Amino acid sequence: MSVVPLLVICSILVAGGFLVAFLWAVGRGQYDDLYTPATKMILDDRGTEQNDNNDNK
Amino acid sequence: MRRAAVDESKFSILEDNRMAQHQISWAQGSQVKAHFEIPSMHCASCIWLLDQLHKFDPGIISSDVDFLRKTVYVEFDATLTSLKSIALLLSSLGYEPLLNAERGDGSGVAPRRSAVRSLYMRIGVAGFAAGNIMMFSISQYLAGSGGLLPPLELLFNSLSILLSIPVLVYSASPWFTSAYSALSRRYINLDVPVALGISVLFVRSIVDITLGLGEGFLDSFAGLVLALLIGRLFHQKAFDAVSFDRTFRSFFPLSVRLESRGEQRIIPIDDVQTGDSILIRNGEIVPCDSVLISPAAYIDYSFVTGESTPVELLSGSVVHAGGKVVGKTARLTATAPASQSHLASLWERYGKHTERRSYTDLSDKFGARFTVIAVTIASIGFVAWLPDVGAALNVFTAVLIIACPCALTIATPVTLGTAMGALGRNKIFIKNTGTLLELSKSDTIVFDKTGTLTEPLNTITFTGRDLTEIEWSSIRGIASHSIHPVAQSIALGAPPAEVDSVYEEIGHGIEGRCNTHYVRLGTRQFVICDGEVDDSTHVSIDGEYVGSLTLHSRLRDGMHEMVDELQRVPSNRPLLTLVATGDSERDRPVLSALFGSHQMSFRLSPEDKVHSVEELQKLGRTVMMVGDGLNDAAAMGCANVSVAVTNDTSTLVPACDVVMPARLLHRLPAILRFAGRMITVIKVNLIFTIAYNMIGIALALVGLLTPVLTAIMMPVSSLVVVGLSVGGARLYSRRIQ
Repeated sequence: MSVVPLLVICSILVAGGFLVAFLWAVGRGQYDDLYTPATKMILDDRGTEQNDNNDNK
Repeated sequence: MRRAAVDESKFSILEDNRMAQHQISWAQGSQVKAHFEIPSMHCASCIWLLDQLHKFDPGIISSDVDFLRKTVYVEFDATLTSLKSIALLLSSLGYEPLLNAERGDGSGVAPRRSAVRSLYMRIGVAGFAAGNIMMFSISQYLAGSGGLLPPLELLFNSLSILLSIPVLVYSASPWFTSAYSALSRRYINLDVPVALGISVLFVRSIVDITLGLGEGFLDSFAGLVLALLIGRLFHQKAFDAVSFDRTFRSFFPLSVRLESRGEQRIIPIDDVQTGDSILIRNGEIVPCDSVLISPAAYIDYSFVTGESTPVELLSGSVVHAGGKVVGKTARLTATAPASQSHLASLWERYGKHTERRSYTDLSDKFGARFTVIAVTIASIGFVAWLPDVGAALNVFTAVLIIACPCALTIATPVTLGTAMGALGRNKIFIKNTGTLLELSKSDTIVFDKTGTLTEPLNTITFTGRDLTEIEWSSIRGIASHSIHPVAQSIALGAPPAEVDSVYEEIGHGIEGRCNTHYVRLGTRQFVICDGEVDDSTHVSIDGEYVGSLTLHSRLRDGMHEMVDELQRVPSNRPLLTLVATGDSERDRPVLSALFGSHQMSFRLSPEDKVHSVEELQKLGRTVMMVGDGLNDAAAMGCANVSVAVTNDTSTLVPACDVVMPARLLHRLPAILRFAGRMITVIKVNLIFTIAYNMIGIALALVGLLTPVLTAIMMPVSSLVVVGLSVGGARLYSRRIQ
């Protein structure tokens, strides 16, 4: 059973790492808008003006 | 891409540094980050287009769209482009930005964003702690009578306490601040019993654990705070989507075109001095009392008087502040300095707003009673268990813990959030739960006419001999050369036509040659000269009288059904429907199919509308006002609940409780029913919470409330309440469609 404390502390550290990652993401504005980025994904990439022109030909 | 014509002057105000500061969030060197709120953003293509702003203007470095908050963030190079030209670009693409200076209070997107951020962080911390503490607690619950090994128990307990401290200090802080500020103002809101429950839960757990009396309630504590925070997130999300803080200030001009020594420049309206010569263009509002210099002008005073037919003024007449110029640009001389505050006072003098009961007040009152009752029961329990002080304290704290009205605090925002989401998908936006309550209670509905019951555009009926296609186009062609509003309605949509020798006698009529026909169009006197006077517009072609044109308002589709349907909405007493309009009686025949003659009142000024709403309220009626424009704003502010209808989402609406698209007005009965049902859902939740708490309190009083039981009871009550709310709102919202 002596391994349990070690495992518990490890698991808390790992979970704490995820918590820090989450807080960092929120702080960087990742959770500000949960709708628009999902829509942007299906739109054409930026900087593809050339492709657009080719398509129009 | 087709670009719309844009009124440049509106955004000239952005050249003013003070005004520009409202839009700019960050600036360094020539690089500037700014944001624009764009009310007309509505679909994925909008995102696509607004994401590509850099293709239209090389000065724009990048643009980023936040769809839910209807905001576009733009980063640009100030040496290559300017705020004004970006605003113009957005408008020309059909996305006219709402300038922050137009808001009354200056509350913007940024504070709302940071509120959501800190909420997410609190949820993150509480969720992390709750998950881990629960693991320790479950192992303790399952350890059986022997318990865990002492070193493990010590480790688990100390870790639990360590993890719960940030939950108390950081995650739960909103309830403590709110409860503290309420108590320091000597009053109790619903957050007081919540804060009391949370702190008792924490203190009791720490005492139990350190004295070795039991496992403590730390798992329930962290889970409770997490649930409360999630309820708050629902609430925040629902409010994020639509902002109701546009006041009538949004209708006001920010700047005016000043003419001095042959030069025109744009100045903020507060800088206008007596004697200044100002130019007011079509659709702009006269910012100050002034005298007309142009030969003639049409002024629409509907914002002030409610009458939508413009009045005709000749050179030298006095023009009052608040009038809207229709047709040709008017040149005026200011006779009084203009000011935003003067304009505001035009509407604010009847700004006595009815105190509205909001659901917050109700739940706060409930919270106060709740606290008193809970503390009383807990004290009785304490006394009953004396002289065994340990057991008495145990019972006292257990009652306070289980009595915490957390399910209730979660239920309301979740019900409201789901209801608002369901309505929002139908483009109907409601302000808060109080609105639902008032909607379900209202027994009198007052409608505005123009723009609400009727279409904003007039239809024209012609009585006389049959006209050929050519003759019609001649009439339209000539009419298009007049600035008179009636002529403008006649000419609407006419293709440009070759005309010559056009002569207009202001206020009487217009004549001219078009498509080989010579057309005279105007008043009876102008066309027939038989000495009689009427309201119609008469036409003669090549000297022959052909007939008369009359303008009619047209009812929106489904209005008959709506008025009938409203009678069938379940309510305490028969629903009374009324029409209050500032217009003359010319539309009485159109409306009499829907309303009895005693239900209609005409020629009401905004002030009269307020009076009629107040009269109804004195009779004990709950009044709902449905309107669309500034002339209804005062009455809407005074009604118990106000509904603003808009023709498109980009138009500004007066301050109100409900915003809905005009084409959905016939859905009003369904919305009233929905509101009634949502109130029922909230009441069912209330009854459930009370019953559940009674059982909990009974258990606590006999000393049976163990940590395990609490850990089960608390989430179950929250889940049931949330399930009822979401289920009810989803089920009933389907019936709106």
